[in-house]
Amino acid sequence: MVEPGHEPTEPPESTESTEPTEPEPEPVPADPPAPAPVRRPRRSRAASAVSVFGELLITAGLVLGLFVVYSLWWTNVLADREATKQGNEVRDGWADGRGGPGALDVKNGIGFLHVPAMNNGEVLVKKGTDLKSLNNGVAGYYTDPVKSALPKDKQGNFSLAAHRDGHGAKFHNIHKLKTGDAIVFETKDTWYVYKVFKDLPKTSKYNVDVLSPVPKESGKKKPGRYLTLTTCTPIFTSDYRYIVWAELERTEKVDEDRTKPEELR
Amino acid sequence: MYGWIWRHLPGNVWVRAAIALVLALAVVFVLFQYVFPWAEPILPFGDATLRGEGGNS
Repeated sequence: MVEPGHEPTEPPESTESTEPTEPEPEPVPADPPAPAPVRRPRRSRAASAVSVFGELLITAGLVLGLFVVYSLWWTNVLADREATKQGNEVRDGWADGRGGPGALDVKNGIGFLHVPAMNNGEVLVKKGTDLKSLNNGVAGYYTDPVKSALPKDKQGNFSLAAHRDGHGAKFHNIHKLKTGDAIVFETKDTWYVYKVFKDLPKTSKYNVDVLSPVPKESGKKKPGRYLTLTTCTPIFTSDYRYIVWAELERTEKVDEDRTKPEELR
Repeated sequence: MYGWIWRHLPGNVWVRAAIALVLALAVVFVLFQYVFPWAEPILPFGDATLRGEGGNS
């Protein structure tokens, strides 16, 4: 493929034989413009195909790297921004006294989840677990496949889902929850204080029984006021689901200053 | 590929570098704004909820 007659611009293979002539072009000032036009046709078609293929591979690697940046960083930025906005709307609504005392503002969110062991502040809880809603950095309570109870209900299972990574990653630290840890749910006028009693670090995503009013796998037999947190596991994937169960320990009325229960202090 | 683009950009080396940077940023913007949000639900990384038997993704 090497074309004869292009001595000074031949490929590297022949440089050794032409080494003695190499120093010659350097002192001549007229030479530099000449090699430029000849250099391009020097590369064979196969070589350029390989080169383009290599560039495509590098590009694919960069795009995948960017996707990781997008998933683990950018979606969090967007989700935290949106969650803060929606959370502020809910708090403003509470402050305005919209809906009367005790009424749940289902459309904007029903309250905030505080999990000191997860160390990530408050998580707005809204109705439904569709991806579009969870992607805004909120937790959702299940309406499907098993309808969740609400904290105010006399008995039932208040079941929540949120992202482990990306989109706010609100349940990222779920593995740090241990038996006895407090989970506090804040509504307009009540603090619901739950205590973790059981976790299930790995289960199938089709194991919807964990959401039932009396989740058998948690060891409970009788109806009670339970809380179930669900998210995906292992971290960075969604092959399985991580479940944490808690049971209501007590409730506290919210006072005028919204003084936090002792678990959150 | 990138060499071809570089050779077809106008101006001197600084102008070319500036245009190349703008092009790269435009590509990143399109990826973050349109391509990744479209691809994400298709990829099995971020699904956090439990599904019934017939559920997908």
